[in-house]
Amino acid sequence: MSDVSTPEGVEPEHDHEHHHDHEGPGYATPQAAIEESEREKLAYVMSLYVGTDVDAPDFVSVVDLDPDSDTYCEIVDRIELPNRGDELHHFGWNACSSSCHMEGLERRHLIVPGQRSSRIHVIDAADRRNPELETVIEPEEVFEHDLSAPHTVHCIPDGKILISMLGDADGELPGGFLELNDDFEIEGRWEPPGEIEMNYDYWYQPRQNVMVSSEWAAPKTYYPGFDLEDVEAGNYGQRLHFWDWEDGTVEQTIDLGEEGLIPLEVRFLHTPESTHGFVGAALSSNVFHFWRDDDAGEYRAEKVIDFESREHDDWDMPVPALPTDILISMDDRYLFGSNWLHGEVWMYDVSDPSNPRRADSLSVGGTFGEIQEVQGRELAAGPQMVQLSLDGERLYWTTSLFSSWDEQFYPEEGERGSVMLKADVDPRKGTMELDEDFLVDWGECPEGPARAHEIRWPDGDCTSDVWQ
Amino acid sequence: MTSHDVTLEWPDGRTRTIAVREDETVLEAAERVGIALPFGCRTGACGTCTGRLLEAEGTEPGDGAGNSGGVDIEAAFAHRRPPRAFKDRHREDGYVLLCIASPRTSCRIAVGSSVHTELMENPWK
Ligand code: FES
Repeated sequence: MSDVSTPEGVEPEHDHEHHHDHEGPGYATPQAAIEESEREKLAYVMSLYVGTDVDAPDFVSVVDLDPDSDTYCEIVDRIELPNRGDELHHFGWNACSSSCHMEGLERRHLIVPGQRSSRIHVIDAADRRNPELETVIEPEEVFEHDLSAPHTVHCIPDGKILISMLGDADGELPGGFLELNDDFEIEGRWEPPGEIEMNYDYWYQPRQNVMVSSEWAAPKTYYPGFDLEDVEAGNYGQRLHFWDWEDGTVEQTIDLGEEGLIPLEVRFLHTPESTHGFVGAALSSNVFHFWRDDDAGEYRAEKVIDFESREHDDWDMPVPALPTDILISMDDRYLFGSNWLHGEVWMYDVSDPSNPRRADSLSVGGTFGEIQEVQGRELAAGPQMVQLSLDGERLYWTTSLFSSWDEQFYPEEGERGSVMLKADVDPRKGTMELDEDFLVDWGECPEGPARAHEIRWPDGDCTSDVWQ
Repeated sequence: MTSHDVTLEWPDGRTRTIAVREDETVLEAAERVGIALPFGCRTGACGTCTGRLLEAEGTEPGDGAGNSGGVDIEAAFAHRRPPRAFKDRHREDGYVLLCIASPRTSCRIAVGSSVHTELMENPWK
């Protein structure tokens, strides 16, 4: 069923008033998102059993974030998927602010891929508290396009959906991009095959006709776990690819070198005119700023944040920070991120993107965190996926990275389950404070402890919306 | 179709013996009789379904190396596709991907999610 053809009869819970003079979902501008949005009351969170002995499928959690609710901090609904073995990871909406001039389109369906299974689920979230599974695209249909391991989901103009795919049908290179139409059927490959080898996350700025994509590794490399031998063999990525958005071809590739190993989450500033963005290089523990040098007519990238490794008595070698996730506040002022191994969430003022200034950080969980329990609940891992409220005042995070990597670095994460935590942010002062009253515990799920990964809000968030 | 007795052994001491046909994988046979084993990709790429061969009928101990006590994986199993999730060292140590492996003899295998975690260590610790 298409969201374009059947807009009538369904009323998603848009609490905010549509003051802006456009049709379609989302907000007219990033500033409108800040001003017109209400406080987030629900979160959708990827929740997993893959790779454990719990005989249950992964699920999507609906978490109550309304402090006035009786079920605040509880998982109020669980959308169970039909199969085990998916490894839910990243997900996205069928429509966002980039479709805000598209009449009749609704931000209604969640596209939820299985990273390990290559199965793609479509969830109807018209009823925000009780979403329902609508369609399943089976792995065989994906393999037909010689792609596997779906990762980042963005809606793109005309109601279509683009998914970055990390491998070929056998879990080897090259990866590519899979396009779905507005009926959630596979349309085919978005790009001519072979434009890139490795793939991971991507973001686009349609007004600049540019897309940027990053690199993890071949699925067969990262699926079983992290192996230093693979780093030495050059099996992990260190490049950024800048694409001609309309043509779907790579215009420029930047090799970030040894300081840019495993560039993961990649974000453009929200301002649609901007060509500035950031990428976190997880293994090298650096953040790079990239921007278009108009004089030279090409993109440039430069390391702007460097997290030092730290010595630990129980570890043989200095422990890298492993910054695995970053995001940019909707007003483009702050860059937030997580150092998963060290146990730190941080915020940098990026008003001048080439000179980020450390604003604040919280030492929580992980190998070095000063706070190792919240409400008596021991933290089994460091902060990982982060999500920020549209007004920039509340930062939330979960603690699982990827099931097999969790097992290596935080074996207790699987036994205890993940948690979701929150910090109150003061954007004016540039400070963060852990909210010790907030704790969502996946250790108490009915079938057993589950992992928790990416977080999304029903009405747009800082890592999903793009402006046309 | 010929089948072989495959004994699955979990770390908690639980064991189950199932008849696995030569044209099905151990994972498929387990699912057929309602036994839950971990899996992910089902294509031999992710390693989630990893088991470790403990003993295989008709193979002499001592003709190999590693954890398998000399049991030869290649003689005990036929693989539907290449086991991409494994490095050479894993195969030599007797690990087997249950989503793509069909038995050629009766055998005992260690199963459960903890077998997969043996494949990779924390390199910094
Ligand atoms: S399930 Fe992925 S290798 Fe067997």
